[in-house]
Amino acid sequence: MSIEPITGRYLTVTVQGAPRRIYFEEAGNGRPVLCLHTAGADTRQWRHLMNDAEITASNRLIAFDMPWHGKSLPPEGFETEEYLLTTEAYIETVLAVIDGLGLDRPVLAGCSMGGRIALQLAALHGHTFSGFIAIEASDFQPAWYDIDWFHRPDAHGGEMGAALVSANISPFAPNAERWNTLWMFMQSGPGVFRGDLSFYTKDDSLIPRLPTIDTRKTPVHIIVGAYDLTCTPEDAKRTADAIPGATLAVMDELGHFPMSEHPDGFRPFFVDALDRMPLQAAKAA
Amino acid sequence: MSPKPKHMTTWEAQVIDTFTHIQTRLDGAPHLLRLGRLFSEIVLIEVDGDEYYLTFDKGRITSVVEGPSRKTPWRFALRTDADALSQFWQARPAPRFHDIFGLVKIGRGRIDGDILSLVKNLRFFKEVMGLARASEEVAA
Repeated sequence: MSIEPITGRYLTVTVQGAPRRIYFEEAGNGRPVLCLHTAGADTRQWRHLMNDAEITASNRLIAFDMPWHGKSLPPEGFETEEYLLTTEAYIETVLAVIDGLGLDRPVLAGCSMGGRIALQLAALHGHTFSGFIAIEASDFQPAWYDIDWFHRPDAHGGEMGAALVSANISPFAPNAERWNTLWMFMQSGPGVFRGDLSFYTKDDSLIPRLPTIDTRKTPVHIIVGAYDLTCTPEDAKRTADAIPGATLAVMDELGHFPMSEHPDGFRPFFVDALDRMPLQAAKAA
Repeated sequence: MSPKPKHMTTWEAQVIDTFTHIQTRLDGAPHLLRLGRLFSEIVLIEVDGDEYYLTFDKGRITSVVEGPSRKTPWRFALRTDADALSQFWQARPAPRFHDIFGLVKIGRGRIDGDILSLVKNLRFFKEVMGLARASEEVAA
C-alpha cells in the first residue's frame, strides 16, 4: 500500500461576477509553481511531477481544475449555457486562484491552452509571477479539424476527442500513460473540450502582445514535443522568436501532453525549466 | 465484383498482403471487434492513386479488394502515398507520420467521404490502420 503526498481541497472564488467552486491539488514546499492543465483534461496530468520527491523538496506544486473540468463544477445555470472559454475568463480564473490561495509570485507552468494563457499572463500580468514555463505553447493555431465534431448528439465527444488527440501523443510514450492521458479526454464533460478549443483556435490576440513580454523581469521558457501535431516545434520556435529573451527546448520523443504521456521523458526538461526560473520570488515593490 | 488487377506491382502486392495481415490481426483483437461491432462499411484506401477497398462487417474485415471500381459504395476514404504509408507503419514512426491526421496535416494524406461515419468509429479505424505496425519491441 502507498499513499501519495498529493492533497486536494476546494476553494470558491468569484469569476465573471459569479462563484466558482474550484478543486486544487498540491504537493511540496518552497517556491510556488502553479500548474495549468490542457484543454479537455484536468489536474491529473500533473500527478507524476507532484509525486516527485526531488522536485517537491523545494517546489510547492499546485494544480487546479478549471471550472467545467475534473472536480470543478460548471457554474450555476450551466445547463442552458454554451461553454466557450475566453482569454478574459481564463485570465480572471487564474488570477482569482492565485489570490484565493495567497500565492506570492508563483512560477506559472501551463500546457497547451495552459501554455497559451501563461504567455497571455506574461504579457498582461507579468508582475504577478516570477517566471513562465510554457509547454506546447504558441502564439496561435487555427483548428486543423472542425471543433464542432467534439459535441454533437450522434457521436460520443469524449471517445472521439480521445481518438483525435491520440494523434498528439508520441509513439515513445509508455502505453499505460498514453491511455491514462486519453482517459481524461474520454471523461471530459459534454462540450467542454469544444469550448476550450474555441478559445485556443479562435483567439489570436496574443500575437501582438508577445514582443511586450519582459523576460528580464520574468523569464519565459517554452518547451515543445516533436510529436505534437497541434503546437509543432515550428510553432513554438516562431513564438519564442517573437519574445525577446525567451528560451526554447525541443523534446524529440514527446508529444502534446508530455507531463502526462511520458513522465520520465519530460522530467529532465521540467527540471531544466525550473532551474531557469528565479529561486525565490522577488518581493513585490 | 471488382476487376482483377491486370499488372499487380510488388508494392501493390505488399499493400494487399499488409491489409490481409491487418484482417488477420483484427480477427484476433476482441477489444477492436467490440469497438467496431456497429461498423459495417466499405472504406477506400488510396495509395499513389491505386485503390483498395476494405469491406467491414460488424467490425471484421471480410474482404480486401484492389480497385479501381466505380461501383463500390465506399463510406469514407483515406488517400495517401506509398512512402507516407510505409513510414506510418514503422514501429515508431517519425513525427507527423505517426498518425493518419499527421499525414493529413503535412499534406501527405486526405480523408473524405462520410466523415461522421469516421468520427463515430475513429478509435476503431485508427487502431485498425495501426495493426500493421511492427511491434515496439522490434524497434526498441
